[in-house]
Amino acid sequence: MTISPDSIVYWQWNGVTLNATIVFTWLVMLLLAVGSWLITRNLSEGPGLSRLQNLLEVVVTGIRDQIAQVSLQNPGPYLPFVGTLFLFIATANLLNIVPGYQAPTGSLSTTAALAICVFIAVPVFGIANRGAGRYLRHYIQPTPLMLPFNIIGELSRTVALAVRLYGNIMSGTVIVAILLSLTPYFFPIVMQLLGLLTGMIQAYIFAVLAMVYIASATSAQEPGKKNTKTSPPSQER
Amino acid sequence: MDIDWITVSAQVVNFLVLVWLLKRFLYQPVIRAMDRREQTIRDRVDDAEQREQLAENERKTYQDRIAELETKREELLEEARQSARQTRSQLLDEAREETAQARTNWMREVSEEKSAFIDGLRTQTLEVVESIARNALRDLADEALEEKMAHALARRIHHLQQELRDALRDSKDAIVVTSAFELSPPVRSALTRAIHEQVGPTVAVDYASNADLICGIELIGGGLRIAWNLSDYLNELTTRIEKAFEPVEAASDGT
Repeated sequence: MTISPDSIVYWQWNGVTLNATIVFTWLVMLLLAVGSWLITRNLSEGPGLSRLQNLLEVVVTGIRDQIAQVSLQNPGPYLPFVGTLFLFIATANLLNIVPGYQAPTGSLSTTAALAICVFIAVPVFGIANRGAGRYLRHYIQPTPLMLPFNIIGELSRTVALAVRLYGNIMSGTVIVAILLSLTPYFFPIVMQLLGLLTGMIQAYIFAVLAMVYIASATSAQEPGKKNTKTSPPSQER
Repeated sequence: MDIDWITVSAQVVNFLVLVWLLKRFLYQPVIRAMDRREQTIRDRVDDAEQREQLAENERKTYQDRIAELETKREELLEEARQSARQTRSQLLDEAREETAQARTNWMREVSEEKSAFIDGLRTQTLEVVESIARNALRDLADEALEEKMAHALARRIHHLQQELRDALRDSKDAIVVTSAFELSPPVRSALTRAIHEQVGPTVAVDYASNADLICGIELIGGGLRIAWNLSDYLNELTTRIEKAFEPVEAASDGT
């Protein structure tokens, strides 16, 4: 029983391996990009619009609203990054019901890559928004004594992001695999449905947490300034 | 918990590519389309509001105009009524005036006709009565009548007032006695005697005849004229006829 799709190697040359993680990531990317391209190829700007365009508009509007609610800022600059996080993870997880499909999010490599992206995006957005000096200063607040703890916090929450997603998806896959060998017919399907729900929730949590981290970096309260940002969801899986 | 760092880096690149792809093919077009649609809707709403405002203004304008026309119409009607009343009263006045004028003219004509009729009647009556009297008296006239007329004249002289007698007596010319017929000598002498007795014995008396006197006799002298003839009776007759017509005239004047 394979735990990670990393270990499924389709092609290898000179130390470069083409494993299932990358292949299925490409698949998801292809699906999203081509699907978007096909639908947005001829968008209607009038009152009448196709169902698929309507679906896309609902999705995009929903993500924008979520970003606006969490960050209390203009969602424009964060939409591509956060939206893509959500869409990629959600699509990768939803495709789990397809037989033979190996969710890329079930690989710690993928989730670590996404977490690293978030880890890098937070200071990038923070510095872009507030300037390097003011951004870096928030590490020594409220006192310079907190600097190590802030740094540890940054690192640990990145690790937590990666492991949380990986653990949830991998465990779902593993549980279904185990149940298949124990009670082959009915029960695995229920677990797979539960896995879909879990996958959606994890996509949402990952995207929202990323947004929260970015928001905290871009709008960290100044001394004496009222805190207007939403506190991160306390319930994390 | 194995991490393949090559895969990690590949996934980072994959993710960044996906971000770019989705930004290029999903977020930008969709947001642009939504913005444009929103703009279109906003434009339409603005346009509709403008048109509504315009229509409202037009409505108000027309309402004002209608009210104005209504007022003007009322004014014109009132004017026309006023003018009709004036014309009516003017026409009535004119008609009344014309009627009064016509009536006055008619009355005058009637009055003229009446007076002409009366004049004619009087003239004819006088002529008839005169010719009757003349004929009758001519037939009757003889010396006896002449004598009686002379007596009548003598009675008048007798009843003359003293001043008049003095006037007759003091006249330089002779007293002329004119009659329709030639007076007979005895009548003349009797009359002369009477004049002498009443006026004075020195008064000269001449005698003449004039058929126009219609059976009468007159005495002229000293600026006085003493006469007896039928003309006086005829004049009285004329006066009575005119009096008889007076009620008729009064009645016709009253209408």
